[in-house]
Amino acid sequence: MAVSRRELLVGGAGALGAASLSFPMPALAQTEPIRIGCLAAMTGPSSAPTIGFNRGVDFSVKAINAAGGVKGRKIEIVMRDTQGDPTKAVNATQEMISQVKVHGIWGPFNSGEALATTPIMARAKMPDIHPCVVESLIDPTKYPNAFRMAPSNSQWDDAVRNYCLKVLKVKKVAVIGDTTGYGVTAVGASVAAFKKDGADVVYQANIDATQPDMTPDMLRAKNAGAEVIVVWSVTTGMEARMFNTRAAMNWDVPFAGHPSLASGELAGLVEKPENWKKVYAIGYKSCSYDASGKLPPKSEELVDRLTKAGVGLNDTLLWWIAGGIDAIELFAKAVEASGGTESAGIIAYLNGLNKYPGYFGNYTFTPTQHNGYPTEEIVMSEASTAKNGTFALAPGYS
Amino acid sequence: MLASIIASGLAAGAIYALVGVTYNTMFSTSRVMSFTAGQLAMLGGVFGSLFTLKMGLPAIVGFALTLVCCAVIGIITEFVAVRPVLKNLDQHLYVLSTLALALMIQQVAAIKWGTEPQPFPRLVGFGSGVFDERFWLPVVACAVTIVGLEVLYRRTLVGRAFLAIAEDNFAARALGLPERNLRIASYALAGIVGGIAGFSGGQLLLAFFANGALLNFYGFVPVALGGLGNNRGAIAGGLALGLFQQAANFLVGGIFSSVAVFTLFIVVLLAAPQGLFGAATARRV
Repeated sequence: MAVSRRELLVGGAGALGAASLSFPMPALAQTEPIRIGCLAAMTGPSSAPTIGFNRGVDFSVKAINAAGGVKGRKIEIVMRDTQGDPTKAVNATQEMISQVKVHGIWGPFNSGEALATTPIMARAKMPDIHPCVVESLIDPTKYPNAFRMAPSNSQWDDAVRNYCLKVLKVKKVAVIGDTTGYGVTAVGASVAAFKKDGADVVYQANIDATQPDMTPDMLRAKNAGAEVIVVWSVTTGMEARMFNTRAAMNWDVPFAGHPSLASGELAGLVEKPENWKKVYAIGYKSCSYDASGKLPPKSEELVDRLTKAGVGLNDTLLWWIAGGIDAIELFAKAVEASGGTESAGIIAYLNGLNKYPGYFGNYTFTPTQHNGYPTEEIVMSEASTAKNGTFALAPGYS
Repeated sequence: MLASIIASGLAAGAIYALVGVTYNTMFSTSRVMSFTAGQLAMLGGVFGSLFTLKMGLPAIVGFALTLVCCAVIGIITEFVAVRPVLKNLDQHLYVLSTLALALMIQQVAAIKWGTEPQPFPRLVGFGSGVFDERFWLPVVACAVTIVGLEVLYRRTLVGRAFLAIAEDNFAARALGLPERNLRIASYALAGIVGGIAGFSGGQLLLAFFANGALLNFYGFVPVALGGLGNNRGAIAGGLALGLFQQAANFLVGGIFSSVAVFTLFIVVLLAAPQGLFGAATARRV
């Protein structure tokens, strides 16, 4: 039988195709490590949270891998130093997505970077868990892949307002921020919310953080009858000047507000330690100790484990370490539950979490709500009581 | 309230005035407005805190070391940002070169020192309330500095050589004065004056990397108000600026005080473009 060249080609191609179908696909996908990208500002001015988060990440990865990994797959962290620079964060994100091909990303850890990286991750459908506070970073329609595991700005605002109105039971409020974009926005939102809840905002101001003397604003607030001063600023110099001015004025008005009111640097900036009393900073139930000096049982257990593992606690915050642990464990659970590292499976798992018991908090996500941290777990702390990265609960909590 | 305005206004004004003198000292021998003046004052606070608080050295030793370090930075300014552009003064390249160096100083300070304000120790331990040393120390430092500069310029040969260079660079060189060395010395002197400003104002401004930009800005105002190169004008302008700024802080508050300060600044310059104490420059025709 004569065989034409065309028949030979078609037959050959068919045979080759059939042969290739019969070869088993390599099972690489089921054995390769679970790669989690970490956008971390390890150096530069905003590196303090990263140091804490990374301790949690290292601790968690070692524990999971030592226990055999997730269904036999080890976790591999792909760390990139963004230096707090959005440009570097964008480059690292693109590298992680297109070259390293990570299965999920933890971070970035500040909102400036996250504003730049979130749309890129959304286009790639890359599961992302981050702790950044800016409201617009969470939008399940635009960014169905992005999940926030820490409070947002408005949750902080709610916690401070509730403490002032319901615990301190004050009616006349002064709201002061710095002149940065954050300070101006936060003061505006805070004033509007206080007024909505029926409080009398007797004084509001945005002060240049380098202003050497705070007497003018403090005097105006006092003359207006303020019963509490709410502070929205990250500038410890300005905060210390306000505390010192309050003492010089012999005024015992309480301060409440931003977590930076509890920054350790304030200890050196206040003229006397007592100037830092009656200052209440945003904190978290899981990382606050009660009158007997005890943390919640789960946090006590975590601190014990961290101490045994030699993880330093005295130069960072416990919630940063706990947040790092939770983020890695969330990815691990998502891979375990969904049976693989497909982004759709990881996202679907996260969308179904209901009061998932993490160390930092109990997270709840739904397909339409990606702010996972519960507002009721945000509390106010005594700012000057730092102990191993935790703080005493402010007065008024049972 | 009045006492508070005067105390903090004079203190801030004295710091601004010293930064203005720093600008003038560099300008006098080089005809360059070096925008590192505020950074030198910022470094005065940072070095002061570093030597006295972090390293625990006695205040007088810390002060001396601070002035040495600031003088060195002043000399580096002359070599790096001024000398290369002196041949093209009419192109005003010094604006770019000195601003670039100022930014570099600020960034290095931010990275090495930190971005949060650091405490500055009490030096004398005398006074409280409006008589606290953080208020009177900059004023005393300003007075001592201006007297010292007057003695230097009027009573010493080196000071007179500075004045000669400032008056007529070409004639001074023709008389055999070492113009280049005198210029280097004037930049070292400017560093010392800036260092005094930062060290004496450390308790008021804290040791903070961002003070440099602020002092660059507010230190320039007395120079413009008092007349370029006129130290007495810079002192008067600086003190007036401090008092007006603090009064505005009390009366209109926060952001609006800066608006008030610069509105007045523009009004004064419109009325007297050569500055309140400056003489109109004669132009050869």
